[in-house]
Amino acid sequence: MKSSRRWSTAIKSTLAVSALTFLAGCAKDAPQDTWQPAGPNAEKIDNLQRPVFYVAGIVGVIVFAAVAWVIFRYRDRGQALPEQTHGKPALEITLTVIPVLILIGVGVPTVGTIFDLAKTSDTEMTINVTGQQWWWEYDYPAVGDNADVYGISEPIVTSGQLVIPEDTKVLLRVTSRDVIHSYWIPKLNGKKDGVPGRVHLLRLEGSEPGIYAGQCTEFCGLSHAYMRMETVVLSKTDYAAWVANQLEPYASPSADNALAVEGEKLFLQQCARCHQVNGLLNPDGTPNIAAPDQYVVSGAAPNLTNLMTRNTFAGASWDLLTPECRDDVWNASSAEFGAKYLAGVSEDCLNQKDLREWLRNAPEKKPMYADPTKLTETGGKYRGMPALGLTEDQINAIVAYLLERK
Amino acid sequence: MAIIERPSSEVAVVGGASVGVKPSEALGVFKRPAASTSWRDWLVTVDHKKLGIMYGVAAFFFFIVGGVEALLIRLQLIAPNGKVLNADQYNQMFTMHATTMVFLFVMPMAAAFANYFVPLQIGARDVAFPRINAFGFWCFLFGGIFLNSAWFLGGAADGGWFMYAPNSSTLFSPSHGIDFWTMGLQITGIASLTGAINLIVTILNMRAPGMKLMRMPIFTWMVLVVQFLLLFAIPVITVALFLLTFQRSFDATFFDVASGADPLLWQHLFWIFGHPEVYILILPSFGIVSEILPVFSKKPLFGYPIVAMSGAAIGFVGWGVWAHHMFASGLGPVSVTVFSMATMAIAVPTGVKIVNWVMTMWGGKLSFTVPMLFSIALVVQFTIGGLSGVTHAVAPSDTQQTDTYYIVAHFHYVLFGGAIFGLFAGFYYWWPKMFRKQLSEGIGRWNFWLMVVGMNLTFGPMHILGLQGQPRRMQVWTEARAGEGFFNLGFWNRVSSIGSLLLAVGVLLFIINVVYTHKSKKVAIAPLDPWDARTLEWMTDSPPKEHNFDTIPTINNLDEFFHRKYAQDANTHELTQVATAEEVLAEMNAHPDEHIHMPSRSYWPILLALALPIIGYGLIYNRVILAVGAAMVVLTMFGWSMEPSTSPDDDFDPPAPGDGGGHTKELAPLG
Repeated sequence: MKSSRRWSTAIKSTLAVSALTFLAGCAKDAPQDTWQPAGPNAEKIDNLQRPVFYVAGIVGVIVFAAVAWVIFRYRDRGQALPEQTHGKPALEITLTVIPVLILIGVGVPTVGTIFDLAKTSDTEMTINVTGQQWWWEYDYPAVGDNADVYGISEPIVTSGQLVIPEDTKVLLRVTSRDVIHSYWIPKLNGKKDGVPGRVHLLRLEGSEPGIYAGQCTEFCGLSHAYMRMETVVLSKTDYAAWVANQLEPYASPSADNALAVEGEKLFLQQCARCHQVNGLLNPDGTPNIAAPDQYVVSGAAPNLTNLMTRNTFAGASWDLLTPECRDDVWNASSAEFGAKYLAGVSEDCLNQKDLREWLRNAPEKKPMYADPTKLTETGGKYRGMPALGLTEDQINAIVAYLLERK
Repeated sequence: MAIIERPSSEVAVVGGASVGVKPSEALGVFKRPAASTSWRDWLVTVDHKKLGIMYGVAAFFFFIVGGVEALLIRLQLIAPNGKVLNADQYNQMFTMHATTMVFLFVMPMAAAFANYFVPLQIGARDVAFPRINAFGFWCFLFGGIFLNSAWFLGGAADGGWFMYAPNSSTLFSPSHGIDFWTMGLQITGIASLTGAINLIVTILNMRAPGMKLMRMPIFTWMVLVVQFLLLFAIPVITVALFLLTFQRSFDATFFDVASGADPLLWQHLFWIFGHPEVYILILPSFGIVSEILPVFSKKPLFGYPIVAMSGAAIGFVGWGVWAHHMFASGLGPVSVTVFSMATMAIAVPTGVKIVNWVMTMWGGKLSFTVPMLFSIALVVQFTIGGLSGVTHAVAPSDTQQTDTYYIVAHFHYVLFGGAIFGLFAGFYYWWPKMFRKQLSEGIGRWNFWLMVVGMNLTFGPMHILGLQGQPRRMQVWTEARAGEGFFNLGFWNRVSSIGSLLLAVGVLLFIINVVYTHKSKKVAIAPLDPWDARTLEWMTDSPPKEHNFDTIPTINNLDEFFHRKYAQDANTHELTQVATAEEVLAEMNAHPDEHIHMPSRSYWPILLALALPIIGYGLIYNRVILAVGAAMVVLTMFGWSMEPSTSPDDDFDPPAPGDGGGHTKELAPLG
């Protein structure tokens, strides 16, 4: 008696857990919710997985009900020993054929979706996406439609936030410079690994302006947890404005902003070896070309030409916006979103705390094998940004300089 | 074969010539160890039952190690931006948690049951190669210790148990952790491989007269399938580990992209091993519950041939699904389709098992003892794990779920809710057989309920976490990605961490139960047949004598023991008990076999196994040590090969000259 009651409790809680699982799609405000598609590719997956979850749920309930019934009905009440039957072939065949039929029902649409999501013939825009420890680089090549339709007349190189036009079939060419990473924006599509030496194609399309969060999902070493990314969807007009801004020629800080002028000098000394700022000139008037391959294992460092047009830094792990300003952009209606995003990071909105901590001692904020003894295998190259030993004055100057990068 | 039975006047013939066997004195180093009851006997024993117990104790120790690692992981994730472990420690922790649980707990614990019970279930007196059996155990133990010694020597492996290239190269993982990992797994792999060959030969050749394959207990069947899986899967991981060792220690470039390698090579090798490995982990537990459910339902296993054959079918199809671990790694739509369909196909034989377990209980007379409770929980929890498995057999859906906590939930329902619950069912079911005392049912119920609640609280919420987009292998999770609704990551991470503590208390109660059962004077000696069991291992003393059976029984039925106790009326199908277990045993032992000859103890297995970690340390630290280890391997193998499997003073009948022989049951002592 007692044990059957215990059992029904157990069954009930099991059912509750599985019911919660199936309801998980209804949550609010989970930026990486896999059940809230915001683009046709993710919708295709959603349309496939929902019925599969329902069928699985129903099968589960039937099995649990059968177990519960057996436990209730056939517990030892002193009944006679049961007949020693060894099976009923007809029943067993039936119970084998039913799952086969269910799986055929699941399998056919699965195959269709697999091929739909692998299609590349309808591509409207191509972007190269390269992973490295522990951030993503986005390279918008100035070819074909990119140049003709979207005005990308010169290659644009950014990081942190991938920016794409609304209702446009974007094809990402995903690869890696060091270990395997995986590009995943749950609301726009499933994930695809970036494997060094290989280029994998991933469709991406957003139906509504906004910011869509994601995370690297292939374990990639020490700071795997700090390799995040965001995809920003802009309306087509806003996108044109964004492109135009990215391509604006470089301007040195004006003389009345003495701190930023000082910052440019410091940037050239301290940062420009690895970080490219397009158009920045050396003191002798030659263009400054960053050479991160000489200092960093992955051979790359984020391009900072337009740092303040994006909202995050350091592998999208920290915001460049203060929490209030961030909420203002993230929660903006799709009509207002474009203008707010294009405004970039103003001095009032700058998240000074995290950016200054980062400049003070980056490896303390984000684990990067800062221990010099661990650099023997790499021939002294860093695995990310080292601690530069900047003074507070120098940090002030660099922050002032960076604020103008938009 | 190692077990020699012959009338005293007959002759042993090896290779056609009569041999006066000279034992190991030929080498003049070690005197062969003699029978003893001291702890030293455990070092030199070749008895499959003692080895089974040693496998069990060692595996349980590693279970606790892996469990502590799991608790630290959950403690780190109980709140955002956890500070318990730093990134480096966290990466080591989840790598070693998985490695420990898979290679050092579930596999060897299944080997423990297989070692102890397969010979008993098939009516044999030992395994086919008893010394190799001992060697396998010591390889497992020393391999496991070697692997874990990395914790004290500069840090354990940090590349994840899947150890994907190129993150596993020295450039990205400069500590020695991965070197310990490759060599440690190599050594435990030897244990699995020798064990597999040993059990296959044992099961195919040493069954009692009348025990056809289709009269074999279902546990033995599942063990047989698993050994074939091991036989073919372990060489694949062996190759992969060698490639990685050569890459790390000798600058080979198998996975070096700059030299033209494709890192996906490692993934294919790893998962061609890794997916059959999943079935290696789960099938023994399927076997255990397929023994237990009939006993406590008082009915034979429903559809025995189908359960046996579906196990074999899983064993075959299990080879064709490895790339479902790689749906996001850019295989192309055709490959993805093939592996997606194959993965769905394997759900069919798996589903068949669940149906047959439910139908076994249907119409039975169920008693809810602790082993039965664990078995029923396996059926329910494995069903959840199996169904979530079907959801990611759907490849596009899997690209959303893979590498998230949804997958962690899925395989913990299969491996904890399934495999480990099956092993606990086995502990409670077979304890009186192994140790004469029955574990307390009272503490056992607490043990069970805490584990059920703890397990579902720990892993149930992970379904939610994963579908909400929390990736795996993350040292920290952030408030910024947690959401605010009912399914926010913060709440469910907390629930999961609290659940893991309950689970730990549940496991602790098992240990308390063992101590209580053996220390308390209140616990009486268990009866010979406490569960009214059905299979052969219960048709002998508890614990069995060294030679298992005084008389090797002749088998006429599936569930032979049950049929000797009960008779069924041909017309009314009514069952009546015709004999008690004691009477069955007394009748069987009325005319015991004479001159039962058991394999003798040996030093060589432990010495040979000891040489292997020495090679491992040598590879990492000093090539001179490596040479010492290699020399030790050669010498111990030589010593072993010079030693006959049976010592001459151990009931050995010397050959009479001139007699051609041919009357012995078994000729060559190979083991």
